[in-house]
Amino acid sequence: MTPDALDPGCGRTLEELSDYLSAGSSPDSLHMDNCPQCQAALAALRRLHTLTGQLLESDLHQAGSTDEPWFRSIMDNLRLETKAGRSIALAGAHPDDDLSETEGAVVALIRTIGDTVHGATIGKCRFNGNLETPGAPIGIEVNVTALWGERLPDLANTLRQTLAQALARHTELNVDDIDIAITDLGVVSPGSKGNGTAP
Amino acid sequence: MTAPPLTADALSSAADGLLAERASDGDSKAFEVLARRYAPAMRGYARRITGSFADADDAVQESLLQAWTKLGDLSEPNAVRGWMMRITANASINLVRRRKSTTSIDAVEDPADPAPTPETAALTATGMTALTAALARLPEEQRHCWVLKEMGNQSYEEIARTLGITSDSVRGRLSRARATLLKEMEAWQ
Repeated sequence: MTPDALDPGCGRTLEELSDYLSAGSSPDSLHMDNCPQCQAALAALRRLHTLTGQLLESDLHQAGSTDEPWFRSIMDNLRLETKAGRSIALAGAHPDDDLSETEGAVVALIRTIGDTVHGATIGKCRFNGNLETPGAPIGIEVNVTALWGERLPDLANTLRQTLAQALARHTELNVDDIDIAITDLGVVSPGSKGNGTAP
Repeated sequence: MTAPPLTADALSSAADGLLAERASDGDSKAFEVLARRYAPAMRGYARRITGSFADADDAVQESLLQAWTKLGDLSEPNAVRGWMMRITANASINLVRRRKSTTSIDAVEDPADPAPTPETAALTATGMTALTAALARLPEEQRHCWVLKEMGNQSYEEIARTLGITSDSVRGRLSRARATLLKEMEAWQ
């Protein structure tokens, strides 16, 4: 029996019916909805689809949970390299000094400080400007998930001030602009600081 | 106006997109939350492709490493789950191929399910057991296409890229796999 012998016999192919099933629409749907052969083939395809879903669930169940040794073993073996990013030049006390800090270190600082501001969770951070010249003005863009219910302009201001102070204290960067973008709203989740986000 | 710093535990309810952004900026705690969230799905998927949990664990570890390294390339952080599953499929297929080149075909572990434990036996309906067996009988090239499409929800183009074949070949293999499975299924009901 060739695969083609499974086509419904009305000129349509299993593939067309399968595409109809997954897309939910077809230029030929008027026929497919009314042809008994197509309907029989669609029923078989649906059954296969249902079984596949059950198999997927069973696979997930059998894979186990992350409390089990397999996950710990994977995480123990995983060596995540530090993401240093670009190098930011610093002005030294002497002209001969060649000092720098990494973008990654400054981003980590921004995350740590920013997360302490109530209602804010820091997302992506980006630096704009000339990082190679010590003292050159640098702009920072920060994505933030805000706790639902916060006054967003106040939150952005507090965050901007807190970050500016921390960066001035802990780095030598000449930060001339901190652009806060509220990219998502989160809802309070029990036992956490409230960084869970709405679906 | 201050709160204690976020711990991995507090991040555990954060949205995928936020975790992906932080992880791509080097926040390993955020990455661990993502890994914890999707590792079981990745392991189940990898095991379905490679045929064993031992290989699946290698594939998942490789996938997580790649995900950590390449997170910066992810243009849509909210789509991180699908992206991690695609990486998992790639790593699993590559692992199967590496095994092939060092082992004779006959020695490759059959991807049929291991003997069912009482737990899985209770869980699996007859149809599902039959589907598993039918999948195991498919030629490997068809099975991979079918698993990537129907269980991984990957597009023809993505599957083509993963397997290094044309989209038309993917379409053809899927078509044959579907026909065979349906034909076998007729006998189960």
